Amino acid sequence: MEILQYALRKLLAGLPLILGVTLVSFALMVYFGPDMTYSLLGKNPTPEQILEVRHQLGYDQPFLQRYLEFLREIATLDFGNASTGEPVTALLAKTIPVSLILILPGFILGHVVGLLLALAAAYWRGRWPDKLIMAVAVIGMSVSFLIVIIAFQIVLSSSDGLDLFPVRGWNASSLGSYLTYVTVPTLATMFVALGYETRFYRSVIVEEMTRDHVRTARAFGLPESRIFLRNILKNCLIPFITRIMFSIPQVAIGGALLIESYFGIPGVGKATYEAIVTGDQPVLKAVVSLTAILFVLVVVLNDILYRAVDPRVTLQ
Amino acid sequence: MNAVAMPAPASTRARGESLWRKAARKFGRDRYGMLALCIVLLYALAALGVWLGWWAGGWGDLTGTKWEPVSRLHWFGTNIIGQDIFDRAIYSTATAFEVGLIVALVSTAIGAVLGAFAGFFAGSLIDELLLWCMGVLDAIPFYLFVAAVAYALTGNPWAMHIAMIATFWVGTGRLIRGEVIKLRGMEYIEAAHSIGVSEVTIIFRHILPNTSHILLVQASITFVSAIKAEVILSFLGIGIKDGMSWGLMIDESTKEVLAGFYNNFLAASLLMFGLVMAFNTVADALQDALDPRKVG
Repeated sequence: MEILQYALRKLLAGLPLILGVTLVSFALMVYFGPDMTYSLLGKNPTPEQILEVRHQLGYDQPFLQRYLEFLREIATLDFGNASTGEPVTALLAKTIPVSLILILPGFILGHVVGLLLALAAAYWRGRWPDKLIMAVAVIGMSVSFLIVIIAFQIVLSSSDGLDLFPVRGWNASSLGSYLTYVTVPTLATMFVALGYETRFYRSVIVEEMTRDHVRTARAFGLPESRIFLRNILKNCLIPFITRIMFSIPQVAIGGALLIESYFGIPGVGKATYEAIVTGDQPVLKAVVSLTAILFVLVVVLNDILYRAVDPRVTLQ
Repeated sequence: MNAVAMPAPASTRARGESLWRKAARKFGRDRYGMLALCIVLLYALAALGVWLGWWAGGWGDLTGTKWEPVSRLHWFGTNIIGQDIFDRAIYSTATAFEVGLIVALVSTAIGAVLGAFAGFFAGSLIDELLLWCMGVLDAIPFYLFVAAVAYALTGNPWAMHIAMIATFWVGTGRLIRGEVIKLRGMEYIEAAHSIGVSEVTIIFRHILPNTSHILLVQASITFVSAIKAEVILSFLGIGIKDGMSWGLMIDESTKEVLAGFYNNFLAASLLMFGLVMAFNTVADALQDALDPRKVG
C-alpha cells in the first residue's frame, strides 16, 4: 500500500518532466520541423489549396495554441493516422516488438558478460587477468559502433568472410530465421556495450571491495564466498540497478536506430527517424509521449527497487 | 626572490605540493598515458597542418581512377570515383578535432556554469529549474534529439554541434552540481560570504576553479563522445554537410565493402580508432593523476 501511494505521488511529480519533454519535442520536431504542406498537395496547387492544407495541419495557428492541441491529443490518446494512412497505434504495435526482440539479446548479453568479466577482473585485481580485461575494455570502448557493425558484417555475412548470415533485412516468422537475422546485430551490440559495462561493473565492485566493513568481515574469519555475496555484491546492487534501469528507455526507443537503418530492419527507431525527416506529426506525438512516460516510469520503478534491496531507503 | 619562486626539487616532494603539480608528476610516470598523449599530439599536428593548408588540400580532387591500390602516388589508394584516400583521411582528422574541440569546450563550459549555479543554490527555484532541464534532456533519446535538431535547423552547418552541446553538457552539469554542493559548505566559502563577497564572485572566483580537475577530465571524455557521435550522425546523414569526415568516408565505403574494396573503410576506421583509443587512455591517465585519493 505504502509503495502504491509512493508510486502515485512520484508519477504526479513526474508530470513536469513529461510536460518538458513534450514541449521540447513539439518545438523541435513540429513547430520548427519539416513543412508537410507540399507533400500533401498535388502538382501546381492553387494558393487557396495551399492555405487550406496549412489550415488542416494547423500551421496558421500560434505556437501556444498548437502546443495545447498537441497536449490534448496526447492526453486523450488520440494519435490519429500516420502520413501513410496507417493508424499510429497499429504502426507502433508493429514496430516496437521488432525493436525489442532485435535489441534485447545484445542488451542482456552485454550486461551479463560485462558483469562476468568485471567479476573476474576484480577477483584478480592488479594482476595480469585484470590488466588484460581492462586493456581489452578500453579497446572495445574505442571502436565506433558503426565500424563494429560493418566489420562483423564483412566477417560473418559477406562472401569474402564466412558468409554465414544474411547481409541485411529482417524475418522473424520462425525461430530459425529470427536467429539468422538477429545474430550479427546482437554480436555487434554486445561488443560495443562490453567495454563500457565491464569498466562500470568493475569500478563499482572494486569500490565496495575496499570498504572497511569488508575488511572487518574478513578479520572475523567469515568465508570468502559469503563475504563476496553478502558484503560486496549486495552493496553493489543499487548502482547496478540504476545503470540497467536508466538504459531501458534508450534501448526501447532510440538505441536501435543505427542497427535498424543499417540492416534495414522495420523497427521503431527507424520509423521515428523517418517521421522526424518527413515531419509526420502523429507518429512523433505518439513516440515522444511514450518516451517521456517510459522515462518517468523507470524513475519510479528505480526508487521502488532501491527500497527492495536496501531497507535503509525509505519511500517518503 | 628568484630562488623563492623556484619549484621545489622533486626529491623533497613538499607537503604543500599543489594538485596540478602532483598530477603532472603522476601523469609523467604513467607510461601508457604519456605514449597516448604523444599519439594525440601527432594527430593534432596532422589537423593543424590541414588548417594551415600544408597538406590534404586536394581531398576533393579526382587524382586517379576508381579503386587504385596502394601506391607511391596514392598512399592508401583511391576511392570509388578516384579521389585520394590518404588525403581524405588526413583532412577528416582536422574535422574530427574541430568537432571534438568545439563540442568539448562549449559543453564543458555550459555544464560548469549551470552545474555550479544549480549546486550553489541547491534547493532553490534556480536549482529546480536546472534539474528539470537536465531531466528533460536526459529523457529524450540522443539520436532522435539530434535528428530533430538537425531538421529544425536545416541548412545550418552547426546543427550537429548545437545538438551535441545541448545534450553533452548535462553529464558535466550533474557532476559539477554535486561537487559544488560539497564545496559550498566549506569554511573558506563561509569566510568569503562573511567579508561580503558577492555570490556570483564566489561562484566564479572561489568555487569553479576548484572544480577544474573534474572539468578537464569531463572535457576529454566529451571530446571522445563527440568524435564517435559525429561518425554515426554523418553516416545517418545528419552530421557533417560540407567537407569530409571519417563518418562520411565510412558511409561511402559501405558500398565498396560489399564489392570487396576495403581501403576506404580501413583508412577511416583505423585512424579514428587510433585517435579515440589514445584519447581514452589520456582521459584515464588524467583521471588517475588528478584523483587525490590515489597516492603516487
